Amino acid sequence: MTKYWKSLDGNSIQNKEEKVEKKSPTNRRDFLKTFGFGLASTFILSRCENAAHKAIPYLIKPEEVTPSMANYYASSFFDGDKFNSILVKVLDGRPIKIEGNDLSGISQGATNSIAQASILSLYDDTRYRKPKIDGVNTDWTTTDKQIIDQLKKIKKEKGKIAIVSPTIISPSTKKVITDFIKEYPTTEHITYDSISAAGLLDANKESFGKRVIPDYRFNKAQLIAGFNADFLGTWLSPVEYTKQYVQNRQVSEDKREMSRHVQIESGMSLTGSNADERIIINPSEEQNLIACLYNYIANKVGEKEITTSKPAQDITKLGDELFKNKGKSIVVCGTNNKETQLIVNGINQLLGNYGKTITFNQSLLTKQADDKQMDGFVNGIDSYQGVIFYDCNPVYDYPASEKVTKALKNIDLSISLSTIPDETSELVKYVCPANNYLESWNDFNPKEGIYTLSQPCIHTIFDTRQEQESLLMWAGIEKEYYQIIKENWKLVVYSKTNRAFDFMGFWNKSLQDGVVELESKSTEPKYKNDLSAVKIIESKSEVELHIYESVNIGSGKHANNPWLQELPDPVSKVTWDNYAAISPALAKERNLKTGDVLKINGLIEIPVLIQPGQAKNTISVALGYGRTVAGKSGKDIGTDVYQLLKTGDYKEYSRDITIEKTLAFKELATTQLHDSMEGRDIVRETTLNKYKEKPSSGNERHKEIEKHHQTLYQEYKYEGHHWAMAVDLNACTGCNTCVAACSIENNVPIVGKEEVKRAHEMHWMRIDRYYAGDPENPEVIRQPVMCQHCDNAPCENVCPVGATNHSSEGINQMAYNRCIGTRYCNNNCPYKVRRFNWLDYNKAEALEGNLYDPHGMTEDLPRMVLNPDVTIRAKGVIEKCSFCVQRIQEKKLKAKLENRELKDGEIQPACQQTCPANAIVFGDLNDKNSKVYKLFKQQRRYHLLEELHTLPSVGYLTKVRNKKNQISNYKSQKPNHG
Amino acid sequence: MKRDILKLFRQFLFVNLIILLSIHITLASDNNSKNDHELHDRYSSDNLKIGERLFHGLIITGDNTINCASCHNTEVIDTFNWNPSALEIALSTQYMDSSAFANTLLNPVTKRISEVHKNVQLDAQQIVLIRQYLDSITLKGLEKPRMLVRRLAFFILLVITFIIAFIDLTFTKKIKFKPVHGVVMLVALAFIFKIIYEDAVGLGRSQGYAPLQPIKFSHKVHANDNKIDCIYCHHTAETSKSAGIPSTNVCLNCHELVREGTNSGRFEIQKILTNMEKGHATEWIRIHKLPDHVYFNHAQHVGIGKLDCSECHGNVEDDHLAKQYEDLSMGWCLDCHRTKKVDFLGNEYYSKTFEEYHEQFKNSMIDSLTIAEMGGENCMKCHY
Repeated sequence: MTKYWKSLDGNSIQNKEEKVEKKSPTNRRDFLKTFGFGLASTFILSRCENAAHKAIPYLIKPEEVTPSMANYYASSFFDGDKFNSILVKVLDGRPIKIEGNDLSGISQGATNSIAQASILSLYDDTRYRKPKIDGVNTDWTTTDKQIIDQLKKIKKEKGKIAIVSPTIISPSTKKVITDFIKEYPTTEHITYDSISAAGLLDANKESFGKRVIPDYRFNKAQLIAGFNADFLGTWLSPVEYTKQYVQNRQVSEDKREMSRHVQIESGMSLTGSNADERIIINPSEEQNLIACLYNYIANKVGEKEITTSKPAQDITKLGDELFKNKGKSIVVCGTNNKETQLIVNGINQLLGNYGKTITFNQSLLTKQADDKQMDGFVNGIDSYQGVIFYDCNPVYDYPASEKVTKALKNIDLSISLSTIPDETSELVKYVCPANNYLESWNDFNPKEGIYTLSQPCIHTIFDTRQEQESLLMWAGIEKEYYQIIKENWKLVVYSKTNRAFDFMGFWNKSLQDGVVELESKSTEPKYKNDLSAVKIIESKSEVELHIYESVNIGSGKHANNPWLQELPDPVSKVTWDNYAAISPALAKERNLKTGDVLKINGLIEIPVLIQPGQAKNTISVALGYGRTVAGKSGKDIGTDVYQLLKTGDYKEYSRDITIEKTLAFKELATTQLHDSMEGRDIVRETTLNKYKEKPSSGNERHKEIEKHHQTLYQEYKYEGHHWAMAVDLNACTGCNTCVAACSIENNVPIVGKEEVKRAHEMHWMRIDRYYAGDPENPEVIRQPVMCQHCDNAPCENVCPVGATNHSSEGINQMAYNRCIGTRYCNNNCPYKVRRFNWLDYNKAEALEGNLYDPHGMTEDLPRMVLNPDVTIRAKGVIEKCSFCVQRIQEKKLKAKLENRELKDGEIQPACQQTCPANAIVFGDLNDKNSKVYKLFKQQRRYHLLEELHTLPSVGYLTKVRNKKNQISNYKSQKPNHG
Repeated sequence: MKRDILKLFRQFLFVNLIILLSIHITLASDNNSKNDHELHDRYSSDNLKIGERLFHGLIITGDNTINCASCHNTEVIDTFNWNPSALEIALSTQYMDSSAFANTLLNPVTKRISEVHKNVQLDAQQIVLIRQYLDSITLKGLEKPRMLVRRLAFFILLVITFIIAFIDLTFTKKIKFKPVHGVVMLVALAFIFKIIYEDAVGLGRSQGYAPLQPIKFSHKVHANDNKIDCIYCHHTAETSKSAGIPSTNVCLNCHELVREGTNSGRFEIQKILTNMEKGHATEWIRIHKLPDHVYFNHAQHVGIGKLDCSECHGNVEDDHLAKQYEDLSMGWCLDCHRTKKVDFLGNEYYSKTFEEYHEQFKNSMIDSLTIAEMGGENCMKCHY
């Protein structure tokens, strides 16, 4: 068995000083006093009449609305970075949950965690409620009049106006901007992406003549080589890529084949931690390494080579393997360097991957910006008389933001169309708040041939107006944006369909589906091979900085979302902070430990986290933190590293730096400190070769334990349903979306950083992460853990009040109103999945003074997001995963009303619904045709701590690694720059 | 030890006293002094007094002096009165000029009111005074009846008796025969605990709760006299979690035409029309309210369980005023779950999901199953 080890500073945990809190002096007299008072107040209370509650029906009930029943509306989520097709659950007029839209070819029924949590931004208390002029609330008429006057004045004087926005993929919005420019011809539209892909786009322009991102098809690839591309976590379209990736990774007894994944990277990314083989390089070595790989393959096919120096790692084995998988491999690189991307294109071309694993048929359009354009704009910003910031925040997320800040003081007409106060909107003269995306009409064209719509699911909560309407108003066009979308669709989309319906029929169907996918007949562009101009640039520095996008926080736009902040990082399990990830070796060399504050370039201070698998001389830091204006939850969380990005033709996400240890110490709020399995086979794994021979490999103990099956308890017999869940560890990538979805569905409270530090986080499910092997380049394994719903549940028989017991359908049920908070169950649960409400996080109690709500989640507005079908838990009560029993009951009721049997897969818990990796399958074990039953029959199935004989209803399928031969023996070869 | 107990009782009494006092003060402070001032600025108190006496029929006006207050209550009442209260009249006539007001009073349009108001003899001056009195009601609101404190007084009496007995037993020793103390103390204590127990159990439950509603809607008139089916108005009861309080447009299905009722004339029905015109939804007072930790679904009980509405709501059609018929306690729920039979063969969901039971049914081994036998006692059927 692989030997798993403790976290690097695992020992230091025990030495941590326990804070001793002063005990309150309670004695018998106080008790009697309270007792007497209690009796008296009970009596008095019961004498008083209960407060009258009101029941207010509709005046005129809309036909499609049934009170207390949810409706789902198809919509789209695009935050300027990632695209998701979604369904919005609307109950009694308020959107309360986001689900994936399974009609979408992009997100295929899944979402990422940011889209999941985005529902809270609708109920964000810090949102602008009215337009503002110079920071003072005003009304739209005044604002519009002033803006139009100024725009006209600028037009007369032939002054320059700029609309600054992220990539816009809405065809109708583009039309609105064009119309605006027609009215004010001196207007320029400047786009920039906070996480740029300009290097990749320009490389494709040069190689293929098309400035787009091709359609990567990871499901077609037998061998995936990723160079610093976190395609499962953050790169371009991670949900789509995860869906594809997993398709080829899931094995079963009938399909004993899976793709192989080699990741070459500097920091431990989500993708890297899922790879079969991981090669560690410093960012500066990347280009040369890729060029060497190109040369190696070029040499084999007899193409011209490029001049390189000796590579940092041996790439011959990777080259051989890639060559062997010609046309069945895929090479991706996350860099924003055009030259490197050109070489990557060259490699894919040599391997014949174009047209097979990479096509230009349905190119991705979510990133289109040109870094040079924004750079030019910022450098010449003083020549502009009017600037409109459209859904962007350059003061925060543009590296040289001080120029923008300075210039904004002198520009007469500065407008921000932001929904919430941010660094940029605080500095402009006019704030014209836009709607939340759930209050707006819009359309999107995320991929060539794919058009989607988004529709308002709630009336505007505040006096806001969507961006397009504002632009139309200022351009003097008296037309609703909704009409423009419709007209535009008639022209752009409807004309390309087979016109089986009339336009209104087509429009209504598109609105209902949310997605229209047109057949595309574009041919593959020709590759123009010209790598002669490519020059390999090599820099040598002692320490390098690698700046990456965080899986949870993204570009930082959603920093004020406490759900995202509290979601643990998929790799480090740190919440509420970013950190400088350093390798154990460097930590030893510089005498650093986790929590020590580091000064980078004398500019920023950031705590250290010792990250196994980190390149030795590279420090990785996540973007998206350190917001200075971002509401209650986002402000001053972590450190901003946008300022460390180098600008120029292309933004550079790595650079050389100097580091300096300070005397400060900052404790990180981590949800998993103990990384050891203490010698138990909590996660079981095998290799593909062994699995091919024997499907039970790695899981031999399961049979052995089953043999000893004996019990004192009466065995349960489930007459109707027997709910169970299968979790495929081989599919799970650890992206955390399930944790977000679960928390949102089940009203799991936000506890805040300080409580997380005390291990009081309330998430009903967690993803455990273990390291194995060499600390400098470990193997990573993950395991989602939720309540195991044991048949012989240890928690059930210790509860003194019977608050937790077994249901006739195999669910370990929890009655909150019975729970008296002894926490016996918590202590007796071997899986540690029960959560205790140490404080009143939810404002569930009438008594004051108990409330602990650091992020304002119990204010009236954020409370609107609560799911009314799930009880709000009070202080002193245990809670845990319920298998989403509200969903089970809902679907059972539906089946009964329709007089039929339940269909397999009809009930999907929140975690399964949103999982991009199809790792979770829920169903009825009594149904012999169910998917979960078939998975339970797999020889890979085992249970967590099954030797305890708790007989859980959750089964795990062993992890299979496609380990063949070590590609590189990185230890034997020292980096050598020739 | 003795001191401790004494101190405790002192505190106990003290707490009671504070609570009683605070209740008294809140009740007293309801008579808003600000409104009084405004009132006195507008009208002389003598005129108001005459107006009030006129309204209560205390001043003889012609042969047929009628007491307005006998139909139009001037106090908050907890019984059903078809006629609009003095406050409702005051509010609805607030913006009429005096001649229109006099006209409405003396020559009403609707049948019912014209019968009652037939012989009213009031001169213009008297009508003005009545109007002033009504105006004062819009400012002051209806008078509130005094709070019932009988049970509370009894409780305090018991506590005091107990304490006196205790003091006499330990300190003053006036009664030499000690078992007397024992009996008095035990009886007092027993009643104290009985009251506390009953009230604590009743806490949060409100069986029989029948608040007055903003519109005097009568289930008796609609469901009994006019035989309208429950489902016509509560049309989501069979398919949705909530039975649904009908929206105003449902009322108008009939009341678009039916503008005058036999009991309330036009006054109550006019409220619906006014609401519709103004775009205000009716703010009913909620009667049935389960605690937040209870999930109840009408579709399961009415749509699938085929329960009759009256099994939980009683014979709603017998009363004008809707009330909470059952105590809606968990015990009451479970009683039904333990005795009611499931329509096993009538729904394919049951017969296909519970195959083994289905076999037993077929082989005549069983002929019925209760809800509880099918898992109806599971916590998570109702609590999640």
